[in-house]
Amino acid sequence: MSSSTTTTPAAVNGLATSPAFTFSASTFQKLHPTEFFRNFVSQGVRPDGRLLSSFRPTTVHYGVITTANGSAMVRIGGTTVVCGVKAEVAEPKLDSPDQGYLVPNVDLSPICSNTFRPGPPSEQAQVVSESINRVLKESKVLDLKDLCIEEGKAVWALWIDVVCVSYDGNIYDAALASVMAALKNVRIRKPTYEEGVVKVPGGEAADDENSFKLNLARTPLSTSFVLFDTSLTLLTDPNFAEESISQGQISVTIDEQGQLCAISKVGAASSSQTLLKQCVERARKRNEELRSIMNQ
Amino acid sequence: MDRKRVPGPELSVAPLVEYPSDFKRWTPLDEIRHDPKRQPEDMRPIYLKTGLISQANGSAYIELEKTKLACGVYGPRPVKKVGQVFSGKGVLYCEIKFATFSCAKRRTNIRDPQERELSQILSQALSPAIQLDKLPKSAIDIYITVLESDGWGSCVAAAITAASVALAHAGIEMLDLVAGCSAAYIQTGPSISSSKDSIAASRPPQIFMDADLEEEKYEQGAIVLAYMPSLNEVTHVLQSGKAEGSIISQSVEHCMEACNKIYAVMHHALLESINDNKEAL
Repeated sequence: MSSSTTTTPAAVNGLATSPAFTFSASTFQKLHPTEFFRNFVSQGVRPDGRLLSSFRPTTVHYGVITTANGSAMVRIGGTTVVCGVKAEVAEPKLDSPDQGYLVPNVDLSPICSNTFRPGPPSEQAQVVSESINRVLKESKVLDLKDLCIEEGKAVWALWIDVVCVSYDGNIYDAALASVMAALKNVRIRKPTYEEGVVKVPGGEAADDENSFKLNLARTPLSTSFVLFDTSLTLLTDPNFAEESISQGQISVTIDEQGQLCAISKVGAASSSQTLLKQCVERARKRNEELRSIMNQ
Repeated sequence: MDRKRVPGPELSVAPLVEYPSDFKRWTPLDEIRHDPKRQPEDMRPIYLKTGLISQANGSAYIELEKTKLACGVYGPRPVKKVGQVFSGKGVLYCEIKFATFSCAKRRTNIRDPQERELSQILSQALSPAIQLDKLPKSAIDIYITVLESDGWGSCVAAAITAASVALAHAGIEMLDLVAGCSAAYIQTGPSISSSKDSIAASRPPQIFMDADLEEEKYEQGAIVLAYMPSLNEVTHVLQSGKAEGSIISQSVEHCMEACNKIYAVMHHALLESINDNKEAL
């Protein structure tokens, strides 16, 4: 602490009145992350320059992986996820002989952030996978009967794997968007079933004649918020730093007709009805925006 | 059973692909490469970019047409393993992971021997270049995710190239950048169909630089070379399969030449990242 000339947010707050306790802004952020944020939030902005209600730039790319039946890459600010869907043949369950499988899994590998360790999926990864699984199953995104090849003998199993390449918060929104985009991108060769063997035509590129697309009933997309501080200020589309100091998180999942598919609120902070309404309202707007990005 | 993932069917297999009778597959008999635009000594164009992983100390993304992988470097950071004795040298840890959708056949989530082998190769190829003795008590972790793989050799080579760029991007002191390059020996021409023909069999195989998956299916052998271009030192050679000495030395030379070209690309990517930083400031 040789130089004490740098201006500090701490000085604004009256925390550091003595010049001996003057830090640079980045040191102050590390020592008192919440206080650092509070100084910004009280002015209606966030440290990265966003307003409290604004989102980070979002991009969606389709068909990035040629070895997968369908794939998509979604970037929300510094968060990058890649989703690949692979279709394989499996035996159906005994109690549902004409239904295929949808198996979504999210992998938060140590490459994407230093908070993740190698090994089996972390608790966070399991929670995200399970939430996506629930949204896909309970809002009946895809009729599983569409995945039947031969009743009681063979069905398609769609392995939907999301790999997080870069983690900067809001993984649920990014993962769900990538899953929906990849499912839209799926093309499966038309199968034929013969004496226990499933065959698909090879050769030229997949087109309408030799392959089929999935008939998605709806495309749910989510919008997440975090609750900051005791005042429970809503921060839209949280990044990693904001997530780590938040009091709680709210995710609102809506389909294209504006119908709610899921709402989840985690964390100890209690939220009022008006707060939830505000979330749903903002989520509706965001949903339209994200949908237009996806349809480009 | 894996209880930490959403469960799927216990057994699932890729469907049998039935090619139409008039479908023509590429074979080395054609005496051209799988990608007809490439000459035997041509590599695929490389796209290399740093700084895509916001949380990592250093990162790089490399793409050689269909081969795509991302690399993140964390460190130097304190060794976190419990019970680790003091070490005056830094520890280099490499992990390569294939995404489940990265190959023609779906890969499982369990770490397989191939991934372990690749991780080992990477660590051996890079450690001679890193000044680990300058980083006591610390660890450098290199994580690589293969998003799409088009050939084993090109995948290893791309991993080495990307990892050394990511290390440089993280500001870790190195003696030189390490460039990786692969080549495959493939018998071209009509000798395959009549291998008993002694004249044809004695024809030396062709060296195909940076072979793709389709070409690898016909390879007699392959080589992966890791090389420090400005020091003119080879850090790692992996040769497999049957080949005569002359072919091997020739392919090493070819690979070194190609590494010099890759070096220029690596340089360019790193310079770009510095320029980006300047603009951001």
